[in-house]
Amino acid sequence: MRHRGVLSVACAILMASAAWPALAQTGGKSITIVLPEQPSNLEPCGSILTDVGQVLNQNITEPLTIIDPQSGTPEPKLATKWERVDDTTWRFHLRDGVKFQDGKDFNAEAVAFSIKRMISGAFNCNNLAKFGSAKLTVTPIDKLTVEIKTAKPEPILPTLLSVAMMVSPNTPADKAVNDPVGTGPYKLNAFTPQTVVLDRFDGYWGKKPEIEKATYVWRAESSLRAAMVQTGEAQLTPAIAIQDATNPATDFSYLNSETTAIRIDTGLAPLNVFRVRKALNLAIYWQGLAGLFGADVIRASQMVVPGINGHNPDIKPWSYDPEQATKLLEEARADGVPVNTEIRLIGRNGIYPNGNEALEAMMSMWQAAGLNIKLTMLDVADWNRYMQKPFPPERGPTLVQIMHDNNKGDAAFTVPIFYHSSGQYSTFSDPKLDIRIDEARDLTDKARTAAFQEIFAEVHDQIAPDIPMFHMIGYTRVGPRLNWRPNLTTNSEIPLAEIRLKN
Amino acid sequence: MFGYLGKRSLHSVISVLGLLVLVFFLTRLTGDPSYLFLPLDATPQAREAFSKLHGFDQPIYIQFFNYLGDLLHLDFGESLRQNRSAMAVALEAFPQTLKLAVVAITLACTLALVVGSLAASRPGSLFDRFASLVSLAGASAPDFWVAIVGILVFAVSLGILPTSGTGTAAHWIMPIAVLMLRPFGLLVQVVRGTMIGALASPYVKTARAKGVRRQQIIFSHALRNSLLPVVTVAGDLATSLVNGAVVVESIFGWPGIGKLMIDAIIQRDFAVVQSTVLVTASAIFILNIAIDLLYAILDPRIRYQTT
Repeated sequence: MRHRGVLSVACAILMASAAWPALAQTGGKSITIVLPEQPSNLEPCGSILTDVGQVLNQNITEPLTIIDPQSGTPEPKLATKWERVDDTTWRFHLRDGVKFQDGKDFNAEAVAFSIKRMISGAFNCNNLAKFGSAKLTVTPIDKLTVEIKTAKPEPILPTLLSVAMMVSPNTPADKAVNDPVGTGPYKLNAFTPQTVVLDRFDGYWGKKPEIEKATYVWRAESSLRAAMVQTGEAQLTPAIAIQDATNPATDFSYLNSETTAIRIDTGLAPLNVFRVRKALNLAIYWQGLAGLFGADVIRASQMVVPGINGHNPDIKPWSYDPEQATKLLEEARADGVPVNTEIRLIGRNGIYPNGNEALEAMMSMWQAAGLNIKLTMLDVADWNRYMQKPFPPERGPTLVQIMHDNNKGDAAFTVPIFYHSSGQYSTFSDPKLDIRIDEARDLTDKARTAAFQEIFAEVHDQIAPDIPMFHMIGYTRVGPRLNWRPNLTTNSEIPLAEIRLKN
Repeated sequence: MFGYLGKRSLHSVISVLGLLVLVFFLTRLTGDPSYLFLPLDATPQAREAFSKLHGFDQPIYIQFFNYLGDLLHLDFGESLRQNRSAMAVALEAFPQTLKLAVVAITLACTLALVVGSLAASRPGSLFDRFASLVSLAGASAPDFWVAIVGILVFAVSLGILPTSGTGTAAHWIMPIAVLMLRPFGLLVQVVRGTMIGALASPYVKTARAKGVRRQQIIFSHALRNSLLPVVTVAGDLATSLVNGAVVVESIFGWPGIGKLMIDAIIQRDFAVVQSTVLVTASAIFILNIAIDLLYAILDPRIRYQTT
């Protein structure tokens, strides 16, 4: 009897051994990518969300245009060229010979279907937020030509359309889906609570990608994700923490299109005085603060990163000048400004690594300059009450910690919401600036770039409604098998077709 | 017995319903989900459309009556994040947690009974001191720390176990080891304490005087009479595991209900919060009834009455 028990245990151990994994599970032309969070869904209309976009964008679904990360200009994708017919009408010429992964043809009717589905309001569509108040009417002209009319002039419609993913006409129009069908080089194989699996789509219109199969898994812990690439369980992971980016051979930094800043509530004393706002900028020891975010961060002078149309390279960031800051505050105090009023510095938990530490350091530097600052850390929903209009009437003077992401190629995704009097984040009203912003939005090409550059310069030099901190750096660990480097768009997409295998 | 079960079940159903009402209103107090589901730069019109689409623009009592009406049709709502039935999401995750919890608590109980009994049989011995040290360390060590160190040692340095995930027998080892550590530590302490008392009882002295073997005295006589407090503590620990092992699930990428619930609360995915609470509360009530029945089996003097 006792021998039988021992035998059973031995058999169990043998069976378990047989089920033991090959610890480096992926090989050949298959790769595993470990993401920081589970994709909430796979609805193409939510592809501006990082968790959804990193799986779908350029892999399963494609838009008419894509943004060149270097120049910020729209480039052809499913549309080969486009022209502006009149102020409110754009004509797009579509790529011939493109098929959806379910065999349907990509044509003008499919474009009309995709855009109508996006704007229908039948389900929640995050991508629509990028279009603001733009109203679109789509009319197929012929099989491969489509006209899109907007209610008012929309000079950057080709840029806006980079977030409109084309989906098969077989997709339900009245509800969100988790089984997207697009024109991309990969098709969905499986979406479970543990993985998303994509297979190469052999009917793809473009160059055949090298990677045959991609499996996505997700782990929240940065050190675990880094370890998974180190052990070979995964080959790529985006967004690892700076303290986990320890191997120069596999860990690559990249400018990730995010800009950190403090938004100043310019409506309430003492923050309604320019001298005080300037003093806030001058009182920070920026070089020391940068140490919290890694050696590669870039000191910011404005709310968009270099490469975004409208970024002004001539604006110099505020320097560290504590004597000047103290002097400005003393002058303001002498003029009757209530400099001693308590100012609430409102931070958001987990907004970016070391965000709390940065605020504590800034608070102590502002206090040293002579301001009365009190730090309050909030969760995202509470924080949002102070960030967006309508602001709480009892808020008092506030400084709000923010991180703004503009990877869509144009300052129009930043300037109006921060600096136009109707902007959701704007705390001031300057009718002359409003007119200039409205005019800039209607311009094209170099005139547009120059107009936004001038606005950034004026905002920086004459209004100072914010304290730009740093253009942030992300770190990605890429396994030794892969030949791929992250770039400005990595936070929103990881195109599998661009990944090469090393010999 | 059946009368007792019926009454206990009725109490449980009433409690679950009360809990669901409470959760419904508490989740609504957390604020407008549109601020978490829509991009930060979404227009007020987009937020309004979102609220209207999901019925959040209705007065809360209307939302509540709609919810009750849907419950009668066993419609638990749709996950805002996952675009599918919230109950399907919860029921998909719960078995993953249950499997983990059952294996961890079974192993922890079995080991704790053996180690605790042997330690109690010779109090103050080297084995007793070692068992006390290990159990105290196990009960005190933070599970996230143990998990991360375990990954570094066994997956990264030695390469003998996978870092995380599911799929093979090897994937179970670290999550279960981490999960059973605390229950094991606590239960060893409980078993040891109650066994020391039981082994000093007159009936044990009598058994010894009659020449009964040591193992039989420990494991047949004393242990059975020491089990009630152990069952109470083990039941409590099992309840907390069934409720979701959030840290272990998060670190090891285990798709269980604990992490799902926390994520749903943070993201204001109301229907998923309500469904996960319903599933886990039901499981906990069933577990509590099972523990009550176990009391009766272990101690025949315990009889449940319906009046």
